[in-house]
Amino acid sequence: MPKMPKPSNPLHKKVSDLPKPPMPPLPPSLRPNPKPKERSEVTVGEAAAAGGTSVVAWIDERTSGSGFLRGFLFRKVPKGVNWWYTLGSATMFAFIAQAFTGVFLAMYYDPNPTVAYESMRHINNEVFLGEFVHGMHKWGATVMTVLLFVHMARTFVFGAYKYPRELNWVVGVLLLMMTMMMGFTGYLLPFDQRSFWATIVGVNLNGTGPMIGPYLADFLRGGAEFGSTTLPRFYAIHMMLVPGLIAALIGIHLYLVAKLGTTAPPWVKAEIPGQDEKRV
Amino acid sequence: MDARQKEQYLREYSALKAKGKPFFPYAVGKDSLMACIVLIVIIFMSLILGAELGPKADPTTTSYVPRPEWYFFFLFELLRVIKPPELVFVATLGIPNIAIALLVLLPFYDRGPERRPERRPIAMTAMALTIVAMTYLTLLGAFAGSPTEIDMEVPEQYVYGKEIAANSGCLGCHKFGENGNDGPGPNLTTIGARLPKQAIERTLDNPTAPMPSFRDLPPEQKEALVNFLAYLR
Amino acid sequence: MTPEKETKTPKSKFTADRGWPGAFEGETVTRRHFMTGVALGAGGIASAMFALPALGFALGPIFEKTEHRSLLDVGAVEDFPADTYTPQVVTTVAGIGEVGKILLYIRKNDNPTPEQSWPFVAISNRCAHLGCPVRYIEAAKSFICPCHGGTYGFEGEVTGGPPVRPLDRFETYVENGRVFVGERFSVNSQLERVPTRDPGAHVDGFWQVLYPPRPTT
Repeated sequence: MPKMPKPSNPLHKKVSDLPKPPMPPLPPSLRPNPKPKERSEVTVGEAAAAGGTSVVAWIDERTSGSGFLRGFLFRKVPKGVNWWYTLGSATMFAFIAQAFTGVFLAMYYDPNPTVAYESMRHINNEVFLGEFVHGMHKWGATVMTVLLFVHMARTFVFGAYKYPRELNWVVGVLLLMMTMMMGFTGYLLPFDQRSFWATIVGVNLNGTGPMIGPYLADFLRGGAEFGSTTLPRFYAIHMMLVPGLIAALIGIHLYLVAKLGTTAPPWVKAEIPGQDEKRV
Repeated sequence: MDARQKEQYLREYSALKAKGKPFFPYAVGKDSLMACIVLIVIIFMSLILGAELGPKADPTTTSYVPRPEWYFFFLFELLRVIKPPELVFVATLGIPNIAIALLVLLPFYDRGPERRPERRPIAMTAMALTIVAMTYLTLLGAFAGSPTEIDMEVPEQYVYGKEIAANSGCLGCHKFGENGNDGPGPNLTTIGARLPKQAIERTLDNPTAPMPSFRDLPPEQKEALVNFLAYLR
Repeated sequence: MTPEKETKTPKSKFTADRGWPGAFEGETVTRRHFMTGVALGAGGIASAMFALPALGFALGPIFEKTEHRSLLDVGAVEDFPADTYTPQVVTTVAGIGEVGKILLYIRKNDNPTPEQSWPFVAISNRCAHLGCPVRYIEAAKSFICPCHGGTYGFEGEVTGGPPVRPLDRFETYVENGRVFVGERFSVNSQLERVPTRDPGAHVDGFWQVLYPPRPTT
């Protein structure tokens, strides 16, 4: 940490006393209408533009959404933010792609142990673009996991988990756990040999915990043996419980990012306001 | 970080932020380009690697060798290398849970104000060690073969013996090159250099417990097996 | 601790005595406090009313006693010699297709002991480490697990690797020259019968204390 500046330094003011950056300008569609033209004829384009403006204004009048959107979209990100900062949003985008492809896979998938494998065969072989969407979901999981780990490594290297963003790191680790959970529960669904045995081993891993472990395994299986309820259980956890939690946690994560601001790279330091920041 | 350092950080950050650019469209533009790259990668992986299903789930298999997806290889290998039965739950739940706890609590035990990686030697060393350990375990897990297959290249006359060795359960306790389990039995990759042929045959007939005796193996199979083992050097 | 604390007058239970704004004579709880309690309490009860039944619904199977299924016919007595294991597939859970089946390794019990008096030895193919499918290797007279390197001897006893106990067994019965298989049970390192446990659960020495039998098994 560099030495504290002397009290005479203008920097030594409370953060709240610093001049607030001015609010970004209103987007054109929200600006007050200019005076109507002298001309009596209005072209189609102008009419459409006026219509669009009035729709946006109508919605804004009833939601006051523009203030929030302006604060969220036009908030400043510190200088020096680079490509490494796109990993978080890329992970979120991968999650959205997973949710979307997952919904369409669910239209054809049947979580009944006697026909689950056949329904996957049906998706792969007969449904239009079936194997492609299935492949996007399968490899999207890998891509999302990798992005998540690289995003976490970036946060770690840049020291971005430190004050005041500790809570956001905790939420991020929870998101990592939920994603691993998605990987684990989604594994079983194709119901081929690899998924079946990976699930058996995964459930028994939980079962090795002293005292409560076996109960955990029973909960996952829905009984003492792999039975008719096991696959629907994994399906429900995979497509409803965990994605819901992930969506909620992403909301908290994003709120905190917007509230606390994106970190600046640790190499960039500001000395005095008004002076150029320099690399130290 | 004490109150003064916190204040200092907030002040610097506020100054940096004041000089920054708006999130939209500058950061969002980069994010969108990155999202395009991510989707292109996913689509290419889907097109090239596909999503083929394996054989249908079958709990009665006697030939399938269960293996996890690649991102669980490190855990899979951890379960293989931790041999003592008393430590099974350490490998299955203990180590992963400790790792998660260390991750969650990171900002609470690493509270130093320094953010630059080159001035945080302990944190960077810990990260490097974690990455090296996970990569090493992942690679070991990826190359762990079936207990009934030996990948060694051997001359024509030893191939039969190699198959006998592979199908006789030797790999359950012995290592042959990259295949098999490291223990409880000794590594057999170069057994021919350490034991003469007769000694190998005697050991197969009268082994030390818990190795089973191979006395009942048909003579021509046993001869091929002994020849194969004696060839390994 | 300090004498001041002891002499301090206890707080009055009446809001009026505590000088709160909007207090009424004889009132012990302000409206605001009361409504705070109502809001939190009613909200909590409403949430519990949907959460608890759903949770109980999901957790129920943990505490259900597994129903005893009827004996399963696995073959004729002469199908299972004593010197080697013969694999036999049986269906233990009906109605879920292939995954309701298990593989048993069966041989005649040529040396019945008080602990192992069953006429046949029926060994489960479920590895006692994490449940992978073990296979019997005739040449080595042992069972080998393809996952994490567990090996078992001819009786299913552990000879190497991480498994915590011998392979599970099944009860066997003989009737009219047919062999029938009953319930699964676990065995300890002395091959004595103990209540069924999951893979990875110890049944010997101090460690068994950590893995008590549970309702479902």
